[in-house]
Amino acid sequence: MNAAILRFQLRRERVLLPVWVLGITGLLTASGLAITREFGNEQERAAVVALAAGNPAFLFLRGLPDGTGAGALTFFQTFSFLAVLIGLMNVFLITRHTRAEEDSDRSELLHATPISRTSTLWSALAIAVGANLTAAVLVASAGLLLGLNPVGAILTGAALGSVGLAFAGVAALCAQIMPTSRGANGLGAAVLGAAYLVRGVGDALGTATDTTHVDASWVSLLSPIGWAQSTRPFSDANGVPLFVPVLVGLATAAAAVLVRRHRDLGASLIAQRLGRPIWPSATPWRLAIRTQRSTTIGWSIGALILGLLAGALSPFVLEAVGANDELAALIRRLAPQLDVDTGELFAIALLGISATLAAAAGVQAMLRLRVDEAEGRAELVLSGRLSRIGLLGRQLAVAAASTIVVAIIGGLAAGLGFILAGEGPDRIGTSLATAAVHLPAAMIFIALTALAFAFTPQLTAAIGWGLLVIGLVVGQLGDLVGLPRWVQDISPFRHIPAVPIESVEPMPLVVMAAIAAAAGAGAALGLRRRDIPA
Amino acid sequence: MLSTTPTSVVRARGLRKDYGRASALDGLELTVNPGEVHGFLGPNGAGKSTTLRILLGLVHRTAGEVEVLGRDPWPDPTATNRDIAYVPGDVALWPNLTGGEAIDLLLNLRGGGDQAELARLIDVFDLDPRKKSRTYSKGNRQKVALVAAFARRAPLYILDEPTSGLDPLIEAVFRQEIERARDAGSTVLLSSHLLGEVEQLCDHVTIIRGGRTVEAAPMGELISRATTSDGELPTLESLFLRHYETDEK
Repeated sequence: MNAAILRFQLRRERVLLPVWVLGITGLLTASGLAITREFGNEQERAAVVALAAGNPAFLFLRGLPDGTGAGALTFFQTFSFLAVLIGLMNVFLITRHTRAEEDSDRSELLHATPISRTSTLWSALAIAVGANLTAAVLVASAGLLLGLNPVGAILTGAALGSVGLAFAGVAALCAQIMPTSRGANGLGAAVLGAAYLVRGVGDALGTATDTTHVDASWVSLLSPIGWAQSTRPFSDANGVPLFVPVLVGLATAAAAVLVRRHRDLGASLIAQRLGRPIWPSATPWRLAIRTQRSTTIGWSIGALILGLLAGALSPFVLEAVGANDELAALIRRLAPQLDVDTGELFAIALLGISATLAAAAGVQAMLRLRVDEAEGRAELVLSGRLSRIGLLGRQLAVAAASTIVVAIIGGLAAGLGFILAGEGPDRIGTSLATAAVHLPAAMIFIALTALAFAFTPQLTAAIGWGLLVIGLVVGQLGDLVGLPRWVQDISPFRHIPAVPIESVEPMPLVVMAAIAAAAGAGAALGLRRRDIPA
Repeated sequence: MLSTTPTSVVRARGLRKDYGRASALDGLELTVNPGEVHGFLGPNGAGKSTTLRILLGLVHRTAGEVEVLGRDPWPDPTATNRDIAYVPGDVALWPNLTGGEAIDLLLNLRGGGDQAELARLIDVFDLDPRKKSRTYSKGNRQKVALVAAFARRAPLYILDEPTSGLDPLIEAVFRQEIERARDAGSTVLLSSHLLGEVEQLCDHVTIIRGGRTVEAAPMGELISRATTSDGELPTLESLFLRHYETDEK
């Protein structure tokens, strides 16, 4: 490692990394506060934990209930979500300083100076270790300040930090495998998504030992997040399982260093292929579609897996809940109105995530416009006969199409999953509807990204991704962090009916589509008035 | 064992580099002697940048021998690169760093530079170091790399088409700085397409094509060869261009 390189990388991180670390800490603190406020006494918490324990959708999304203390409830509600966040933080951090630098040729300037071949990788890993330690300490301190059990608070911090370390290593290896920074981020995020899903499946198939504890099935232990969760900080606290994620991080980081030591600058284990030499049918439309093709395929694979799981696992999930009579009886007593198929809820929850992936695919497609502008390609395209409105409109259409494709694939896959699990073919229609009602909300995020591109071009990426994340946090976790109702209602995700359990009210969907259309039109007006590039 | 002073600063013998089935270098020969300004010419895709990256230890050769300042650059590039200043053909900078910050970073990594010299270079290259790199044109990014390279004297300068994107005035400044470096005893390996620049600056020229060396001679010899044929004088340019033309033509 090289001190100058370390200082340089830290300087580039002075805004972004603190935002991540503080965001993770803040989210835990806010939900901890909300839980102590909303569920002040043991009985209330016991009721909410029991409801969750009997609902595999909750187990899949959140994790395993582990007692009725405020700490246990906070850990159950937030841990797997925070684990994904800290994983993403590490993936993006490592890629930023490794593959992205090689991809942009900046590393050539650095590595022509007397620094070792692995020095930028080492110092990026060192920053990741520092960031994960800081996050662990801050999360533990927040837990202590909230008055949670001290051992539990400290172990929660350590568990999150260990997941972070695992994905720092994974990301370092992805950076050796993939030729582009987009590819490295994508592969890292895919591995993280798989770790979350595997844990989700394992947790949803877990067995309830009583009304407030669920034991994971062995499947969860195929995921570093599952191992971190198995520390059970607020019941049988045990730090030993954390060795697994830490070892995953060490092994993958060591492999990455080894590969980097022996490979050429700019080379990757998966090489760029040669393409076709001519493209006679090239048009602006085809170009816009072509540039989104591979990312749409990537998001679609995610939706496909989620959809299949949603359909195929729902009967097993039902079985797992039914196996516990005491729990089933308790749920009937606590919430008699909850007369719905828990398998259905499970499928709806998973299709909700898959629809979020669809929205993300659309936002990413819109962001492409800004990348093209910043890297000088927009000028090239606009110097021809293509108008600005044409450029924007075409990209809006491609982004919307990308979202629709991903949503449809998720819905179809869920229908297929249900059929595989022995249900009728009418399932395809209902599953498609479950996915389709998410589309107006997704269109809002695409149009808002376009609006940001038109009016605040330099902040396009921050606003595009930021709004999606805020919409998610507010919409999905708004209750959890105790936000007022009207704030929660701002998020488009709050207005999506849970098809087929709830009936479809057309009004909110129409309003959302209208908002999206208005924002898109505003973007077109704004883009006409500004400089390109700006 | 006594270490001996190397007779040549750069020595490549039978250098090969394969990318999958395609080969970028196919038995390249290159010798750069101490104190000379060595022109490195060849058509696009001939393997010039690949060669320079091998000399910097960025890329590993598939076969052949290479020595830079008496060492193989691959096992430990830090040992050779501390005596090298490099300017890539395509300078990419960090968008939110100012030009001045980028220069200081590159200089610090090489062991620091003389502040007075740095100020002089920023002045003669007419660079505004306060601007963020994202606002720089191609020529200004090139200037950042050139200033960082010249602000600390290096025994060996490796320059990959360093003047592409510079205006004629700054090009003249560049030539002056090369002369200064030569006068201070440095060796320069200069890849370039500007035949006038090469003719003016270089003592020795190597021309490569398809990853092989097709010509290596002192500039004086090339000039006399170009002028000895009777009748009208073929220019040096036509001599260079002859080597660029492919066999199929």
